[in-house]
Amino acid sequence: MSSGMWAEKYRPKNLNEMVNHTEIVTRLKNFAVERNLPHLLFVGPAGVGKTTSILALARDMYGPAYQSFILELNASDERGINVIRDKVKNFARTAAITSEVPFKILIMDEADSLTTAAQHALRRTMEIYTRTCRFCLIGNYSENIIEPIQSRCSIFRFSPLSEEDLRGWVRMIAERENVKLIPEGLDAIFEACEGDLRKATNLLQAAAATQGSLVDDIAIYGVLGRVSPGKIRDLINLGLKGNFLDAREMLRTLLIDEGLAAEDIIRIMYSELLKLAIPERQKVALSDAIGEIDYRLTQGARPEIQLSALVAKLALAGEEMKS
Amino acid sequence: MTEESQPWASRFSPCTQEELVGNDRAIRQLKSWIKSWDKVIPKQRAVFLFGPPGVGKTISVVVLSKDLDLDLLEVNASDYRTKKRLESFIGRSAQQRITITGKRRIIMFDEMEGISGVQDRGGISAIASIIKETRVPIVLVATSIGESWEEKFKPLVDISSPIEFDPIPFGEVYKRLETIADKLDLEVDGEVMDLMADRCRGDLRSCINDLEAIARGRKKITMADAENIGYRDRKDYTPDALMKMFSAKTLWEARRVISSAHIDYDTLFDWIYENLPVVLDDPEDLAEGMEALSRADIHQTRGSRSQDYRLLKYMFNAMTGGVALARRRSKGAGLLKLVRTKIAELGFPPNAFSVMESPEGITIKPIRYLKDDWRRVDTALRGIGAQWVRGSSCWGLPYFRSPQLVWRYRRTYHSRRRLKSVAARLAEKCYIGSKEAIADVIPLLKIIYKNDAAMAQGISKWLGLDEKESEWLKS
Repeated sequence: MSSGMWAEKYRPKNLNEMVNHTEIVTRLKNFAVERNLPHLLFVGPAGVGKTTSILALARDMYGPAYQSFILELNASDERGINVIRDKVKNFARTAAITSEVPFKILIMDEADSLTTAAQHALRRTMEIYTRTCRFCLIGNYSENIIEPIQSRCSIFRFSPLSEEDLRGWVRMIAERENVKLIPEGLDAIFEACEGDLRKATNLLQAAAATQGSLVDDIAIYGVLGRVSPGKIRDLINLGLKGNFLDAREMLRTLLIDEGLAAEDIIRIMYSELLKLAIPERQKVALSDAIGEIDYRLTQGARPEIQLSALVAKLALAGEEMKS
Repeated sequence: MTEESQPWASRFSPCTQEELVGNDRAIRQLKSWIKSWDKVIPKQRAVFLFGPPGVGKTISVVVLSKDLDLDLLEVNASDYRTKKRLESFIGRSAQQRITITGKRRIIMFDEMEGISGVQDRGGISAIASIIKETRVPIVLVATSIGESWEEKFKPLVDISSPIEFDPIPFGEVYKRLETIADKLDLEVDGEVMDLMADRCRGDLRSCINDLEAIARGRKKITMADAENIGYRDRKDYTPDALMKMFSAKTLWEARRVISSAHIDYDTLFDWIYENLPVVLDDPEDLAEGMEALSRADIHQTRGSRSQDYRLLKYMFNAMTGGVALARRRSKGAGLLKLVRTKIAELGFPPNAFSVMESPEGITIKPIRYLKDDWRRVDTALRGIGAQWVRGSSCWGLPYFRSPQLVWRYRRTYHSRRRLKSVAARLAEKCYIGSKEAIADVIPLLKIIYKNDAAMAQGISKWLGLDEKESEWLKS
């Protein structure tokens, strides 16, 4: 019985199933009992249970039909604040009549990616529909959320999962899915997932698919080589070797065939750069170069041109290291 | 005439401003000038639209007149012969701001290139005096070929403001062809569209005519049908122009390429970007040249975002002079080196092929019969832009190859569509953004689909993917 994505299958369904964030869960349980809640702002790193918490709360509060009382939007997928406003309007306009709870919940993921202007518009919308709709904004950093929104929300800070909990959870899934996860495999997952439980679970599932349910470190590294960071590491190495044409070809594959966003590529390039075994001075210079290109991209410049210019800088750095 | 029997170029000509293709800047200029007549008679009583054929000069005037609810009086070549008619009829019309239908008037002198210099000199001066007196907007339209046209129309150029139309960019022509083919339910090979859109060199009208010529009465067009498209006699100036540009020693010399290439700036930019890494084979030159292109890209973004097109000149300088002057250490043997590396990568000794330079590019001739290896070599050489030349049994690799980007988007059209739809399903089911689905989850799904059919089937069912989407994840 292994259908669907394990990360969803083992997502805690209600607040009682949540083993971490004890304090947050206690407060959320109170909301569920009282059938009332303020606007919420959940901040914390990826894959620690922010979305899970609000979904669990919704289920506890509305019962099995909770889906019709929530709307989940991802700020990075919506085209501008006007689209968001329309969706919110349509969702919030109809009161939640069939329920004892007089409001619905709108979940806005990656709210910290909204521009300041968009957040101000959102704040206005929150005020207008407060009677019929509560907002749960989710993001990684509260610094990127404007003050007026912060002051209208109860803020919940999610801490990173402990190593203990993370390992325990992955081990639990492996057991239930009859995957033989040997300690080296678990170590490799833990190292790669950067505290993100969803990433860890997805890695486990993909690795289990490759080796007929035995997961060791080799299986994990095999999978890691074929996901974006692995490929971008290859791209960097091609650049450093001075093989610009092949690097550009690879860049085109990532951008066009695989549809990666330029900002994701540059983010991963930066984190891979820090891990590179190159002279420190070069590292500083390349970080500066990445920063410049990052800025140019935010100004609307063309991704392929800008990233190619960066690869050319890598090639130059590689040449300098040779001599 | 019923709609079906109309020539396609007019049947599919745009009816609203949104449907106009390309030349945004020129059209905006034209529109804001026409609107400036709303209150007072502006200082410039005429504008002069010029540019190559088939890029939408006339239709822009027609469409804008309709959009702005103006009564358009079209004057064309046959009227220029009779100075009398010009002075009396048109001159009188130019004094009436409102027509009998109650609409405001606009006058267009079309096909001005049809005025022959000496004979019709009277015509030009008659038009000039109409412009000086006019109380309604006057638009002059001429297809400009060669340098002398400006000389010919000097009296008119002096009293009107110029609006230049560029060739329609390749991608836009392609899109338009695609739309037309869709409307006609016509199945056209991507390769054919590519050939046609490329060959028309920005002349959209001729391109639609060509499509009609080969497609009337058919439902499906393949490369075989396209073989007999008549070549319009236009030389491809781009490689020559690039050659000159890359060897320029001054900014001025490099900039001249823009006027001699006869292609639009965006396409030229793509050509330069495509070929720059081969010409600038020294790492320092390459980094400098790419930095110049990156800066050019920024100037262009700023210019079009703020609609302040003065900024475009900085783009031209960076993409031409900036790139050309970066070439200081390069040996210019990048392409030869590339060929040799490819041959070595394929596992052949250097003497298995004769690699020679010619004026147009490099020829790569196998010394012995390749047999089963041919396809493998062909794929690899195609990858760097070479093509098999049938008659002379060798591959030819031009010094400058056309931009690959558009190609690439086209080739991956279906797979990108699947990528998007799968990402959307994942985003909904897993409560994540679709960007995250693309970056983090889909690569893992692909691994699962390749290795574990049962698990894959479960996921497809859970996500509600159709067969094609599941197949795509497996590929």
